[in-house]
Amino acid sequence: MIAIEGLSKTFETSGGEPHLALDGISIDIPKGQFLSILGPSGCGKSTLLYIVGGFVPASAGRIRVDGRAIAGPGPDRGPVFQEFALFPWKTVRGNVLYGLLQQGVPRDQAERRVSELLQMVHLSRYADFYPKELSGGMKQRVAIARTLAYDPAILLMDEPFGALDAHTRTKLQNELLSIWERDRKTVLFVTHSVEEAVYLSDRVMVMTPSPGRQKAVFDIDLPRPRIRAELLLNRRYQEYLIAIERLVQDGGEDEA
Amino acid sequence: MIGRALKSLILHSASLILLLGAWEAVCRAGMVSPHLLPAPSAIFLRLLVQLADPAFLIHLGQTVLRIAVGLALATAIGVGVGLAASRNRLIGRLLEPLVRVLAPIPKIALYPALILMLGFDHASKIALIVADAVFPILLATYHGARMVEPKLIWSARAAGASERQCTFTIVLPAALPSIYTGLRIALLIACVVVFLAEMISSSDGLGHLLIRAARSFRTLDMFVPLLAVSLLGLALNGLATLAGRRLLRGFAL
Amino acid sequence: MTRWLALPGVPPLLALLALLGLWHLAATFFGYNFFPTPGAVFKTLPALFGEAEAAANIAASVKRMLAGFALALAVAVPLGLMMGRSPLVAKLVKPLVATIYPVPKAALMPIIMLWLGIGDAAKIFVIFIGASLPLLQHSFGGALAVDQKLIWSAQAMGLGPVKRLFAVVLPSALPEVMIGCRVGIIMALIVMVSSEMIARQSGVGNLLFNSADMALYDTVYAMIVVIAAIGFVADVAFEFVRRRLTFWAEIHQDPLVPSA
Repeated sequence: MIAIEGLSKTFETSGGEPHLALDGISIDIPKGQFLSILGPSGCGKSTLLYIVGGFVPASAGRIRVDGRAIAGPGPDRGPVFQEFALFPWKTVRGNVLYGLLQQGVPRDQAERRVSELLQMVHLSRYADFYPKELSGGMKQRVAIARTLAYDPAILLMDEPFGALDAHTRTKLQNELLSIWERDRKTVLFVTHSVEEAVYLSDRVMVMTPSPGRQKAVFDIDLPRPRIRAELLLNRRYQEYLIAIERLVQDGGEDEA
Repeated sequence: MIGRALKSLILHSASLILLLGAWEAVCRAGMVSPHLLPAPSAIFLRLLVQLADPAFLIHLGQTVLRIAVGLALATAIGVGVGLAASRNRLIGRLLEPLVRVLAPIPKIALYPALILMLGFDHASKIALIVADAVFPILLATYHGARMVEPKLIWSARAAGASERQCTFTIVLPAALPSIYTGLRIALLIACVVVFLAEMISSSDGLGHLLIRAARSFRTLDMFVPLLAVSLLGLALNGLATLAGRRLLRGFAL
Repeated sequence: MTRWLALPGVPPLLALLALLGLWHLAATFFGYNFFPTPGAVFKTLPALFGEAEAAANIAASVKRMLAGFALALAVAVPLGLMMGRSPLVAKLVKPLVATIYPVPKAALMPIIMLWLGIGDAAKIFVIFIGASLPLLQHSFGGALAVDQKLIWSAQAMGLGPVKRLFAVVLPSALPEVMIGCRVGIIMALIVMVSSEMIARQSGVGNLLFNSADMALYDTVYAMIVVIAAIGFVADVAFEFVRRRLTFWAEIHQDPLVPSA
């Protein structure tokens, strides 16, 4: 369980002026919950994720994971970035293997786990390819497998499907859901797509543009496993979409 | 304003100031013999004294003269050939492998041959500067001219400019920032190579002064020409920065 | 029909032949005894290598060049990578580099010989300084450009700072570092030749000038050919290694090495 309390972040701009990016975020995320953080670009939602990851220090407030304050990055919180951030000098297999070996998993055991993971993300045939030989969707699958490999309790996903085309994005959303159904990790998922947030999540936190504050938190009470074609006809799904869309539009017009 | 600039200068050269301070302290404390390492203050003072000495100024003048002529020739050749290679496919295809073979050759190795052909005086040293400084200018011109947005040329052609007019009114100006970068690299190379040539075989110039001091084990006088040529390089570089800011105002440098 | 012309290595080879042709024409045209034809020069090459002293000089020079370069590799690359990842280190090292940059490195030879004596140490040290600058610059640039998210990914896997430097920053920056290597090895050669020409004790540079003094013109040109060949071979070899080591990189630049 993640407890975020009064979290704020102030950046120093290049001109030396302080800029308030995040202001007083407080939220508890129970174990196994899929929470989306929704907001326009520049609202600090990615920064929030980076702070939880321990990559960026907070200016005020605290974050505890399972009761312990976080101190820097750790393998209990695995990031997945929009930019994939694969090691370009390693093959698909090498990328997924790397974290496992770092955790001290014996080689043969690690190899077996990598094969399973690659099968899960449908990339067994591409194990010996280098990242530059893969499409964007395949790269993101590798990145997800690489993070799942060291079995973090929490997944930190920073607009992971933002750089993909619509078709690939839908496909990967479904794959992510089926993976999540299996082991029910806690997921923090940053996105600016209302549809994506509602479709994937148990809860959606909507943020205001600059400085980022919590505007509202929605509990998404929809049946799982989620099937897109059925949801599209689901009255409650439509109401969530409309309500959140209105909230996001409200006061957000000046931010493109 | 000036106070802030000074503060940032000090802040940004803290390690250099520390190093010079330590060097000075070690010398003052008598931990090394001045015959091995003179104090930085002594070197600066000596340079100031030398700058008032007409004999030193003549040596400095010889060095500057060689740099100026060598750079002018290298620029004319480099820009001319670079432009031609970028505008003409055949010249470009001939030139690229030639440059690939010639660029990694240490030009200084040609110096004995240049002396045999051109003598010990200015000509061989200027030729060496040209051989060394022409490559960065040529490459920068070539790449700069190749990077010119083709639509710029199309627009000019559509407006009735001939190919030749395009080369001089569109391609050359558009490549100027790149040429300028190449020129600044060539500038420092010219300073270095002329100094080396003067050290190897000469009867005048800053490099010769170093060798003369070395022969009579005057350590302090060995550091002075070295400092002088380094400052000369920095000064020319600074001058180029100022000139570049003036001439290339329209470009985002 | 002309596809073989585009094969790697063929254009430079043709350029080389063209250069030799021009040289031959010029030499026959002028007919000076201090400007021999390439044929005459190449005829002295076997004798040069057969002569124990000359061959030993050449070998010793190359050995010093490689030693200086290896030293630069060991010092400048880690330092450059650290500069790219730590603003503090960058702030400390940058002014020092900017100060050494305009100094003619080989010209330090007489001074360094005062400190280290006339042996190999002084020569290797000067080469080390000369080769260090491009290595430092390119390693710095390469490390500066490493994707922050890549570092974070490694951090999340539990890699400490030293391990990150060698397991993440170094490979990410490798394409740029290898360009630095290519410039650095040429710099090492330039400094090696010019410092030997200045110190006039041993090595290729000394051999070159001694033959000029003794009016052994064919040998002068033969030595120039040998030095040029070392430069060309070093350049090609490093380009080969670079391609081998960075084939995975997204973009393949093929930098033309600027001379310095």
